[in-house]
Amino acid sequence: MVTKNSADVVIVGTGVVGVVIAEQLLDAGHSVLMIEAGPRVSRAEVVENWRNAPLGVKGDTSVAYPPRPWAPHPTGAEKPENAYLQFTGPDAYDQTFIRYAGGSTWHWAGTSWRLTPEDMRLNSLYGVGRDWAFDYDTLEPYYVRTEHKLGICGPSDRAQQWPQTGARSADYPMPALPFSPGEVRFTDVVKTLGYNNIPVSQARNSGMPYDGRPACCANNNCVPVCPVAAKYDAETALHRLEKKGVTLLVDSVVYQVETNAQNKIEAVSYYDQHKQSHRITGKLFVLACNGLENPKLLLMSKDDRNPNGVANSSDQVGRNMMDHPARSFTVTTKDPYWSGVGPVVNSGIMQTSQGSFRSEHAGAYFRYNNFARNRFVTFAALKKGLVGKALDEEIRRMTACTADIVAAHEILADPNNRLTLSDKKDWLGLPKPSIHYDVGDYVRKSWEAYSQPIGKQIAEAMGAVDIKISPKFNNSKHIMGGTIMGKDASNSVVDVDCRSHDHENLFIPGGGAMAAGACGNSTITMVALALKAGDAIVDQMRGA
Amino acid sequence: MTRQSNDPNGKLMMSRRGMLLSGATLLAGSMAASLCPGMALAAVDAGAQSRFMQLSNLLIDHRLNPDVGARIAETATGQYTNFAGMLDAIIAIAEKKQAKTVEEFFGDIPEGELKDFAHWVIFAWYSGCSSEKRDAKVFTYEEALTFKTTSDVVTIPSYGISGPNLWTRPNVPLSAPMPRF
Repeated sequence: MVTKNSADVVIVGTGVVGVVIAEQLLDAGHSVLMIEAGPRVSRAEVVENWRNAPLGVKGDTSVAYPPRPWAPHPTGAEKPENAYLQFTGPDAYDQTFIRYAGGSTWHWAGTSWRLTPEDMRLNSLYGVGRDWAFDYDTLEPYYVRTEHKLGICGPSDRAQQWPQTGARSADYPMPALPFSPGEVRFTDVVKTLGYNNIPVSQARNSGMPYDGRPACCANNNCVPVCPVAAKYDAETALHRLEKKGVTLLVDSVVYQVETNAQNKIEAVSYYDQHKQSHRITGKLFVLACNGLENPKLLLMSKDDRNPNGVANSSDQVGRNMMDHPARSFTVTTKDPYWSGVGPVVNSGIMQTSQGSFRSEHAGAYFRYNNFARNRFVTFAALKKGLVGKALDEEIRRMTACTADIVAAHEILADPNNRLTLSDKKDWLGLPKPSIHYDVGDYVRKSWEAYSQPIGKQIAEAMGAVDIKISPKFNNSKHIMGGTIMGKDASNSVVDVDCRSHDHENLFIPGGGAMAAGACGNSTITMVALALKAGDAIVDQMRGA
Repeated sequence: MTRQSNDPNGKLMMSRRGMLLSGATLLAGSMAASLCPGMALAAVDAGAQSRFMQLSNLLIDHRLNPDVGARIAETATGQYTNFAGMLDAIIAIAEKKQAKTVEEFFGDIPEGELKDFAHWVIFAWYSGCSSEKRDAKVFTYEEALTFKTTSDVVTIPSYGISGPNLWTRPNVPLSAPMPRF
């Protein structure tokens, strides 16, 4: 039975990981209570927030999702000293997750690349990084379930699928989305260099409704919000979960995970937006706040039995923070490409992420960004002082003849890339996360010797008359690590089912558990891990 | 069931129907504000508004929405102490040249305050904002003229122009005619 203060299973976080697990448990007959730090809002509100934001800040997703005082998340508006995320290392770990009901899939692109078998055996094959605790074949059925659960479209032609190695036991539920004029031209150009620009498998309804959501109609606004919910986001699933009986508690900031004498999790405590504390008990607990909020919460929850923090006997909580360090090439071409037709990310070159060179340096995934270019070029065109027809023609030329090519790199799990608790406090008086982050020599070497030359080669083949390269590594906003998975409890936080090594009734699924993240976006793997954890939880609850 | 944490009785925060209705109301309100500039504006006298549209039509040879113009004018009155005087001065320059297009008189606007103001008016219409900055006033999104220059090909983000899987099209050459707007 579920009450306001207790349930069979308590899930902290309402993003995609929490949502898919909640649904498994509800379907298995368990009561589920979900706790969300931030608010629940309507899609119309998010869309209007974004439309009404100034053109110059539309690239900042937080304009669509202003944080509540009690549930801060990163925004582009703050000075570094006041920001929610504090940085101490040579590189910024500048993420854009949001604390809203539905979580950060509100503003993901929907890109869903599977890992390859090789990605999961990095140490065995190349002598670097960590191996996953299980192989690709173990994960594959969960990838299939993820593709069907979220509604991930993709090509039926095996030559156009990813990965090329490893099995695929079921087709995508929907066909690949068509390419824009720019993507067609880009695909033809890179083909002359030997690169195969393949359709992105993406959580977007292709040519048909799916899961009660409409078909994509090319609003070109997947980031920061699909206005019609053709792209999967977890908010779309919350309504279904409510019909199945979930209790969803919003504007409630969990600040402590409480252990009992058996070192099992007994309860979680949260503050409401009036700073009043409440306590929730349960039989089993799931932390589904991804790789930043989960370790922060575990570290905040230290007690006499767990002096380094809950689930942290290995001292690995908060360590191994990863992302996909990215550099962009803004290319000006003589002939038009015309980005901004169709979804914002619709294709990619993945073959460059694989190879024996991984013993020396990272691979990289190259993508052609398909965002409409107007907001990127308008101010520059206006600054030229043109008027009349000359101004119109310049905006049109710059919109058509500029493109962003992004190289996203694989980073190794490094325990020195670490989240700790800052001395600085948020509105509730809770510590802000502090992250030491260095992309590392493995990535830097790739950029110098591998990815930058390839990027320049592609740009030149595109007919570039000008190339501007981002001066530093940017974050891809793919939070991985922090609660890393392993078989050895002395150097990992969770087991193969994302169960805490230290607490048998605590699960910490999602990107935090990933031992290696390769180059492709992490959400599909996070969800696959969530489904695997969900199966384990159902089994464990049955035996409870 | 969704509850806010300060909701001691477990009362529904907002039903799905309520959320949909609130969304519809929000959208309707937005549309109404867009269609009825008086709802969103402080008083800018009709004469100044009319002169501002006259100036705008001299600087920009396209069909301009007077509701958007009224919003720009309102901000301009606060931003430029000599707003009315600059309107008159630039219009006088254009009339003296009997200009039909901006190209025929723009070079005659003296550098400095007047030229800067003329550029700002163009900036406002094309970008839909008062500046590049985070705190810019927003006059319009979807009617910003930047989007009109590419409306035959490029989506205004969040306003799809095709349909399910119907966006395949030839790569339009730069020599193709500029959309009329």
